[in-house]
Amino acid sequence: MLAALLLAALAQSIDSIPARHAPRSIAIDERLAADAHIAIGDRLVIAPAPGAPGDSVIVTAITRRSADPSEVARAEYRAVMHLDELQSLVGYGDRVDRFAVATRGGASTDSAIRHINDAAFGFQAFRSRDIAVETSRTFLVVSRFHRAIGVITIVASAIFLLCIMLLKVDERRRDVAALRLMGISARSIVRSVMVEAALVAVVGSAVGVALGWVAAQVINWHYRGVYRTPLAFALVTPGIVLLAVALSLVLGLAAGLLAAERLVRVPALELLSGRR
Amino acid sequence: MLFHLAWATLTRHRSRTLLAILGVAVSAAMLLDMVMLSSGMRVSLRNLLLSRGFQLRLAPKGTLPFDTDATIPNASNVIRVLRTISDVAAISPVLGGQLHVTVAGRTITATALGVVPAVQGDYEVTQGRTPSAPNELVASDDFLRASGAMIGDTLSAATGYDPQLRSFTGRRTLVLVGRAHFLYMPAEMRAVALPLATLQEMRGGEARDRASLFMIRARAGADVADVLRRIQAALPSVTAVSTETAMRQVDQRLSYFRQLAFILGAVSLAVGFLLVTTLVTVSVNERLGEIVVMRAIGVARNRVVLQIVMEGVAIMFVGALAGLALGLVTARYLNSILASFPGLPAAIDFFLFEPRDAWGALGLLTVAGILAGIYPSWRGASLPIAVTLREEAVG
Amino acid sequence: MSGAGATLLAAHDLRREYHMGEELVHAVRGVSFQVARGDYVAIVGPSGCGKSTLLNLLGGIDRPTAGTVTIGGTRLDQMGDAELTRFRLRHIGFVFQRFYLMPALTAIENVELPMAEARVPREQRVRRARELLAYVGLGERHGHRPAQLSGGEQQRVAIARALANEPQLLVADEPTGELDAKTGTEMIELIARVNRDGTTIVVVTHDEELARAARRVVHMRDGVIVGDGRQDVP
Repeated sequence: MLAALLLAALAQSIDSIPARHAPRSIAIDERLAADAHIAIGDRLVIAPAPGAPGDSVIVTAITRRSADPSEVARAEYRAVMHLDELQSLVGYGDRVDRFAVATRGGASTDSAIRHINDAAFGFQAFRSRDIAVETSRTFLVVSRFHRAIGVITIVASAIFLLCIMLLKVDERRRDVAALRLMGISARSIVRSVMVEAALVAVVGSAVGVALGWVAAQVINWHYRGVYRTPLAFALVTPGIVLLAVALSLVLGLAAGLLAAERLVRVPALELLSGRR
Repeated sequence: MLFHLAWATLTRHRSRTLLAILGVAVSAAMLLDMVMLSSGMRVSLRNLLLSRGFQLRLAPKGTLPFDTDATIPNASNVIRVLRTISDVAAISPVLGGQLHVTVAGRTITATALGVVPAVQGDYEVTQGRTPSAPNELVASDDFLRASGAMIGDTLSAATGYDPQLRSFTGRRTLVLVGRAHFLYMPAEMRAVALPLATLQEMRGGEARDRASLFMIRARAGADVADVLRRIQAALPSVTAVSTETAMRQVDQRLSYFRQLAFILGAVSLAVGFLLVTTLVTVSVNERLGEIVVMRAIGVARNRVVLQIVMEGVAIMFVGALAGLALGLVTARYLNSILASFPGLPAAIDFFLFEPRDAWGALGLLTVAGILAGIYPSWRGASLPIAVTLREEAVG
Repeated sequence: MSGAGATLLAAHDLRREYHMGEELVHAVRGVSFQVARGDYVAIVGPSGCGKSTLLNLLGGIDRPTAGTVTIGGTRLDQMGDAELTRFRLRHIGFVFQRFYLMPALTAIENVELPMAEARVPREQRVRRARELLAYVGLGERHGHRPAQLSGGEQQRVAIARALANEPQLLVADEPTGELDAKTGTEMIELIARVNRDGTTIVVVTHDEELARAARRVVHMRDGVIVGDGRQDVP
């Protein structure tokens, strides 16, 4: 509510609004400072509505937003000012939208919540963590979407891998037939194909991790610029690397096993003659 | 004959061909989904904004409609000024707020819209009728479910709560006259709509003669951009937004999805291309003897290339058709995830199917299929006949 | 083109060299000879003497390093790739040691392939393909794929395919090379019949029996012709 009123106020031309009293200090966010070319020490007039009388303030600080995903798409400007000044300016009276309360932590938080809610006159106490969960629902939706895309990608990769392994193993059917006729067991051949598949999977994963890391840097650089936020949009963590490598290895081995088993099931002479 | 040979070659290696088709299908599904995502949001938002014919919106200065709690003062003066602009055909003022409705000892809180029922563009009545008297209201399905109220019921409603006195303010008795579908509300939203003047009175001083938003319909054939300019000139203290401006703002905020769509679509196409090119390359390498013999018996090089390329195109085409079906299924699933964005109007779809999207994806895949097969087939068909036959004999 | 007895194929000072690793191999060294229309010539010699290379040059599937090949008065060495391909389609039939049938096609479809390329209407080419398969003794097997045929049957299909567009010249490289003795004998008889019915034939072979069936035997050694004589056919 207060932010909305202030928003209207800050859209005003500085020179056109008559001031009400001596200037106090205000902090504005870096987006507003950049877009309106405001620097520390500049004098502004802020009002609750366009054209209304306002207060003269001096910019004493420029703030940066925190890396909060729920605020990523919010493009409004922000300012921090003295509480009593804002209350007076917008005619809010002796009211606030919320209190933030710091406790000694642990059990004292639960106890504080209970006492406040028991004595509440039309307001309610929440844990900050619970509020964060509620306000980050947008981010959770995006997260679910990414996970779904990830699952589809993994399924697609498994199919591609199986297809490619099948092709590559099929290509060497005559070599496999010759080895079988020489006395090399089917088991040895399958093992050899799987070792090859594992090597390809490990090397491929290493390349993929490197590519993914580079892509993450590019993504973060790009979207931090677009949304003007310090939030990290893509993170390559050790856990993610481990999962990706493990998954590729499992998929690669499975694909190699299926392809090799399929080939060694065919009698060697048939493979050699090209009848299968 | 060549098409028959291509098809016969593909069916000779059934499992390999089926797997390749499956791979292409997944690729195609992803490509189609991304094509749908890149335009779906935009198209469905545009359709929603224009669904009732209101091309322009006025919001508090520096904001988008309902982006903040701010309101526009002197609403009646704004209407008076708007009526002086000749191409303005209809004006629908809207005030947002909350309504606390007490039913059977429980209090249900709903989002309330104060509107002028005769010109409003925020809801469609699905049962009953629109309010025609100051003390009437319509409600959404979710509100009716939560409250247990039925059409014809009298409800005790309030717009505020005084924490000191622990009592509701702005009380009024209202009659429920209709069930409505609220166009711009999220699904599962408890919403009500009542006459603007009633809501302004209930909210008292802070809301007197104020509106959150004005929706404006231009006369048929009028230049909407020109009407927008004239409104901006006449009312500099509000922000006038055309559908296009709103689209641009939304585009900018949701550019992430368009860019994601482009990147994933490109990757899908590239992977499908790689799959087919690998398949064709292996296929060519396996039958070099057959290929050069075709040349030896007099089949022209470009016809040999055509036959091999047809194999790649056949896989791409069949895979693309399967992918189309798969893509529609996965799009529904992905849309259901994104549709749960808090505050998103239920009418917005992120994945909107337009036949031209399917044709576009199919076209891209066909071209990719052709390109994927061209190099390996040309290479195979250009091998020296005698040398290759000799090597094949030795090998 | 003139009738039996006139020169159909003329090779003049043919040379073919190619690199095998670092070594330059002179596979054919200045070979000149002629084949009359309707003749049946066998080219024999030890392994590596250049006979298969010579056959490839005569059949237009390889280009000489020097020298000329003329078939029915048309110089092959002056043709571009596309023109040469068209010439082979209509005037030369090929039979290979390894048959090289299209495994994905049936016997009849393999025989139809050159006719389809020559734009013969479907009804006509199917009829001719059936006739050819009957001619080579495979009338009942036209719907079988190569994998379902024996080596001898596959080679018969290959011969039928080579005859599809009524070529002037049939060239065969070791046509009995992958066949057992009995099947080989049948093949020799078939090739002789094809010649008796008017097709000029040049074969390359190690098979003495096949060489004895020809009316003229050309001996090669180290890339040159060292003997060329007629013989009575049993």
